[in-house]
Amino acid sequence: MAEITLKNLGHSYSTAPMSEEDYALKPVDLVWEDGKTYSLLGPSGCGKTTMLNIISGLLHPSEGQLLFDGQDVTQKSTSERNIAQVFQFPVIYTTKSVRRNLSFPLECREWEPKKIANRVAEVSELLELDDILDMPARRLSADQKQLISLGRGLVRDDVSAVLLDEPLTVIDPQMKFSLRRKLREINRRTGTTMILVTHDQSEAMSFADEVVVMKDGRVQQSGRPEQLFERPQNTFVGYFIGSPPINLFNVDVQGDSLACPALDLSGIPRGQLEPGALQIGIRPEHLSFSEPTEKGAIATVEACENLGIEQIVSLRAQTGEAFKVKSRLRRKIGVGSQLAVSVAEKDVLVFQDGRLA
Amino acid sequence: MGRTYNIIKYLCLLAWATFVVFPFLWALSTSFKDANAVTSGARYIPWLEFEPSVEGWTSLFASGSRGINIVTPFMNSASVTLLASIVSLGLGTLAAYGLSRFSYKAGFIKNSDITFFFISQRIMPPIVLAIPFFLMLKEIQALDTIFGLVIVYVALLLPIAVWVMTDFFASIPKELDEMAMIDGCTPIGAFFRVVLPNSTAGLVVAGMFCLIFGWNDFFFAFILTFTETQLLPVAIVSLNSSVTPWWSLSAFALISVTPLALIAIVVERFMSRGSLAGAFR
Ligand SMILES: Nc1ncnc2c1ncn2[C@@H]1O[C@H](COP(=O)(O)OP(=O)(O)OP(=O)(O)O)[C@@H](O)[C@H]1O
Ligand SMILES: [Mg+2]
Repeated sequence: MAEITLKNLGHSYSTAPMSEEDYALKPVDLVWEDGKTYSLLGPSGCGKTTMLNIISGLLHPSEGQLLFDGQDVTQKSTSERNIAQVFQFPVIYTTKSVRRNLSFPLECREWEPKKIANRVAEVSELLELDDILDMPARRLSADQKQLISLGRGLVRDDVSAVLLDEPLTVIDPQMKFSLRRKLREINRRTGTTMILVTHDQSEAMSFADEVVVMKDGRVQQSGRPEQLFERPQNTFVGYFIGSPPINLFNVDVQGDSLACPALDLSGIPRGQLEPGALQIGIRPEHLSFSEPTEKGAIATVEACENLGIEQIVSLRAQTGEAFKVKSRLRRKIGVGSQLAVSVAEKDVLVFQDGRLA
Repeated sequence: MGRTYNIIKYLCLLAWATFVVFPFLWALSTSFKDANAVTSGARYIPWLEFEPSVEGWTSLFASGSRGINIVTPFMNSASVTLLASIVSLGLGTLAAYGLSRFSYKAGFIKNSDITFFFISQRIMPPIVLAIPFFLMLKEIQALDTIFGLVIVYVALLLPIAVWVMTDFFASIPKELDEMAMIDGCTPIGAFFRVVLPNSTAGLVVAGMFCLIFGWNDFFFAFILTFTETQLLPVAIVSLNSSVTPWWSLSAFALISVTPLALIAIVVERFMSRGSLAGAFR
């Protein structure tokens, strides 16, 4: 158990990086607090695995420092760091039984046989592997194998952190849900820091105390799920978090304030902005619509998607901008009909050059 | 339709099997003939067409002028082949693991160049190597000794071991080693405790190739030995005198393929258990 600090830590796979482009992980300062659950979220190839491999020591960063509880471990080997990591695809020792698979990390660390047996029993019960403990591991199905990988990660109770690199991809949805709950439970009981890599935002949001969003090797924002939702630091986070993504509208500058013709808004405080590309962002959940009246913005319904309890309405403003509204399902909305659209002022986010102002 | 097809299929297989097995049967039958039965036209069936004699077989274990003793060359061949195979497999496996897991660089030379360097040792015609090997062994006074032959055979077998094992390790995902290190092994521990136990299939195949090539080599055994250390293939040839003793030769040939046939059966068992394909995942 440890607080993990990344100090200006970056990595490039090329030996002589010429530009920012060459970095799979651009230098970053970040702290993973002890005992919390984290999700590392980002599109494919953004450097999530690179980040985890650096923390676990499979990869040595090309620059910067890694600290565990303030101690520099940058040059330490994987086995010295005492980190548990689970990969995307199950890795099992095919020549060993399930039991020996689970006990292997403890054997490597020379625990007493008795303690090993107890610990293996505990973990196998937790993951419901008791029945197959004496089977040869190569005979198992993919999700059983992944459970074993997971079990090997959890069997040591003194690890600095458990790193999970999209471990749930091969596991069926029902199981996924219960596993996620179990992981959280383990975290609460033992206080082990957990970092779950995923590119599924709902998985990230439901699992973690804090979500770290990455793109192109750069950490975009980290914070509690609701922070990312309510105050995305840039349009990418707005886009990546939330479904459907945030709506962006063009604005006109009117002296000290901004106006949005599409939604017939004016007087949006402009703050200390320099001239630059300005946009406002509004979450689909924050927009509401009603029957058209004399005042206010009017938009045409282009499509309406029924999600059972909610609906997503695609609209086109009179300025030609398309956007979406998510609301409770109330009544049928005809395609082609006209609706009045409104938003509370507090829910309007101003972005300058893509960054939250 | 299906029936005709099956008949044709089995006829073809039978023809091929006969073609393959016939030389062995021929050698087997010849080994029981005497001079008369060999020279007076083709005869196949013992007792019916010729009177069997065990002269061919006994001559191999006789001493003095009655024949030659096959036991010493057999043991020589076995020691040289086994020792060279073990050394090659050991060194080759380590080299292959290094080549498959770490990147080496020396100027323009990279991993693939090193692998090719190993393989290129087998591309060269043996005759090119004969004289250098001869002179080198002479320098260290290892001509005509088991030790000298082992050195040369290691040079010949190592490329095979490296080649087969590099390919095999490449098929084992590097996540396996990484996992082992996360579980607390050192890199060397990961190799011995996790990767190697997963590599029996590769080791068996590489070992088989080493044994076959080592056992069958005639060229170097012939050039680098004289009288003290005779290997099996050379001993066979030395049987030849003014009157070729076909019966002894046949018996000798059969004895010398027996170990390889046994290996083939073991390996075939091993492969058909499916442990070679899909050894991992
Ligand atoms: N061994 C490597 N050598 C060179 N480049 C690499 C290597 N591994 C990864 N990269 C590159 O580094 C970048 C980040 O890769 P990384 O595997 O960390 O992404 P990721 O976020 O884990 O993606 P995914 O969601 O697909 O797993 C990618 O552009 C990738 O091509
Ligand atoms: Mg990845």
